[in-house]
Amino acid sequence: MILAKGKLYDSGEQGSILVSLEEEINETRRDGSLSAETVVSAVTELGRRIEDGAFGDRIAALAIDGIEEYVRTAARLLRRENIEYKLLTELGSNFLQPRMAVPPYDHPGITAVPMPLGTLFHIAAGNVDGLPAFSVAEGLLTGNVNILKLPQADNGLSVEIFQQLIAIEPELAAYIYVFDTPSADLAAMRKMAEMADGIVVWGGDAAVAAVRQWAPIGARLIEWGHRLSFAYIAGYEDKEAELTALSEHILSTRQLLCSSCQTIFLDTDKAEDLYDFCGEFLPYMERAALRFPAGTPAAAAEVTLRRYTNRLERVLSGEESDGRQVFQGRGSSLTACTDSELELSDLFGNGLVKCLPREQLFAALRRHKGVLQTAGLLCPADQRAFFTGLLARAGVTRITRAGTMSSSFSGEAHDGEYALRRYIRMVDVES
Amino acid sequence: MKNRARLFRVKDPFDTQTTDGLFMDAMRENCRFQYHHCGEYRSILKDRQFDPESLVETGDLASLPFLPTLLFKNHWLYSIPEHRMLIKATSSGTGGRFSRIGFECGGLYCGLKMVLRIGRWRGLFSPRPAHYILMGYQPHRGNQTAVTKTAFGATLFTPALSRSYVLRYGNGGYAVDMDGVIGAIRRHSGSRFPMRLMGFPSYTYFLLREMETRGIQVKLKEGSKILLGGGWKQFITERVDKSVLYELAHRVLGIEETDIVEFFGAVEHPILYCDCERHHFHIPAYSRVIIRDVHTLEPVGNGQIGLVNLLTPMVAAAPLLSVMTDDLGILHDGGDCGCGIASPYLEIVGRIGLKEIKTCAAGAAELLTGRQA
Repeated sequence: MILAKGKLYDSGEQGSILVSLEEEINETRRDGSLSAETVVSAVTELGRRIEDGAFGDRIAALAIDGIEEYVRTAARLLRRENIEYKLLTELGSNFLQPRMAVPPYDHPGITAVPMPLGTLFHIAAGNVDGLPAFSVAEGLLTGNVNILKLPQADNGLSVEIFQQLIAIEPELAAYIYVFDTPSADLAAMRKMAEMADGIVVWGGDAAVAAVRQWAPIGARLIEWGHRLSFAYIAGYEDKEAELTALSEHILSTRQLLCSSCQTIFLDTDKAEDLYDFCGEFLPYMERAALRFPAGTPAAAAEVTLRRYTNRLERVLSGEESDGRQVFQGRGSSLTACTDSELELSDLFGNGLVKCLPREQLFAALRRHKGVLQTAGLLCPADQRAFFTGLLARAGVTRITRAGTMSSSFSGEAHDGEYALRRYIRMVDVES
Repeated sequence: MKNRARLFRVKDPFDTQTTDGLFMDAMRENCRFQYHHCGEYRSILKDRQFDPESLVETGDLASLPFLPTLLFKNHWLYSIPEHRMLIKATSSGTGGRFSRIGFECGGLYCGLKMVLRIGRWRGLFSPRPAHYILMGYQPHRGNQTAVTKTAFGATLFTPALSRSYVLRYGNGGYAVDMDGVIGAIRRHSGSRFPMRLMGFPSYTYFLLREMETRGIQVKLKEGSKILLGGGWKQFITERVDKSVLYELAHRVLGIEETDIVEFFGAVEHPILYCDCERHHFHIPAYSRVIIRDVHTLEPVGNGQIGLVNLLTPMVAAAPLLSVMTDDLGILHDGGDCGCGIASPYLEIVGRIGLKEIKTCAAGAAELLTGRQA
């Protein structure tokens, strides 16, 4: 299904739509502009309709555990206060207004005019529900024309959301184009990319690398890749509460999020500390596993068997024993490792535990600079400032307490950046 | 492999009670052989510090390291030179990759005896010729799958008057020929000889449903049978209860439930599991089954769900002693069946899998889909 200028078309019409797309977009951009207020009003109204049960059947059909809470969160984020707060934090007050500036040394006055980047081509991923709509909404808030390539696994919800949005505010129709082009249709993707001033790509390394291969030079690449997060333990303020919070974070996110703790680093170089910690923390993990079961037996079995197979593969590849010791619990496990690298865990409540003394922290994190995201920091209160500074300088983009690694809030930076700023360009105009 | 030969000579194919000692002797003997002839297997046993000589009592089977079927997909594991493998077969490759397993003469001979013994018990052999409708693949040089080979083998249970295939080979690939098969059934239903439908339950179900939709009903001759095997594969979401299939077969072909026989097996565990008259898969004397906890991999008791671990000393050519399937199952006490066989029976309740898991952790999607970066 294709959505263009508010109308639905069959996927087969992609070719003919693409032929005239550039001209259409040019017309839209030449003759007008989209104000943030128009978008904020429309999105706010959309949020109200979702809260009142619009899409209720569609959302229920997704059959996702805890969907009600998820929908409530989404609807809350769509409220005017939250959107305006996001605009304010990311862009600053009155950022979208032209600003007079008088550079020093008698330079004539300049007016800095913020403008949309122009046309954004979003290559969305299917790994987060609602992500395609979110990405386009960011493009709209900054006044851009948006071409969206849906992820393969899209369930049709995105198009319905945009139709609803266009029904609320018909002016948006000219700013939203949605295609269900398969990723293999490189010719069509290239065509869309050639019309774009910015390419917004979501996904794992493979997806990002693929786009880098064929993206035209003239378009700004805006990459939202996958990340890794970890916990760093250098002591406690309230040991029991903090370890409980960490275990519940690990089990409740099932280690599937960018912000989920994969590796737990201990501020020590003694192997005994590692084993002691695993022995002590495992019961916390088991208790959390009871509160947040990792899923069906089929899922648990898959994970368990995969870990077992990986071990056999290591044996067959002739790798030296890596000295890892597994502390197997019910519904969870901890693996004491002898290295100090940030690493993806086996997910679903199977954490890695490694020694990383504070002196080596900076260098160790730098080795993974492309993927660093959240650090859950557990340490004595009087050392918090020290470790926070160290972690921030090393490149992590979020430093939280043990249990709030994955909490989200309006106006948060996205992997260290204010996304909206990237969707905007400045035009300096001499007076 | 004297003990193996003795095990496969046991008279009662479901005697798992008095054959424990013999089974363990055969397992130890085979394990010793694999240890000395398959370097990969030896390194796995060494890693787990397992000594083949420690296989003495039934309880020792649980500590014998098992090999997941995925390992056979990633590696070609064998213990005899290639020229001594009489047959090489592959799994169906539902997930796009398949196992490759070689079989030697001795193992195949054991297999033959097993098939004869179990087939006789289930009344599968008959001197009376039959027409065969194969709800599976037409054999072809390019098709090495065990399911195709065993399906063809099963057309030798009685003299075959004709063979019609639903998946016909032509133009370099397989195509479904439902009309051809329905035509053959109509044609042969007038014959004075019985008919045997055999193959995938999925295609069999689709066929029966199609015949019913078109209003085609026939009454097959006495002695006709439906033999099912190979699982639902890519049609798992369309799987129906056995009873639905049985009733449909009765309506469309006039076949009684007692004439419907189901099999299962795997190229990595080539034991013939054949259902009893109550449609339960009892464990034959030639194998043992351990159900393992989905978290700890420790054995669980009868009646509890877990991963299905299948053990047999049948094959020397490859280390198939203890194989972990991708299936979830439950082992029930034999007495719960009521058919009179005392050996426990295996119920397959599902497959392992992570459905629609969404993740944004770096590398996790690749990990979940098995595409190691």
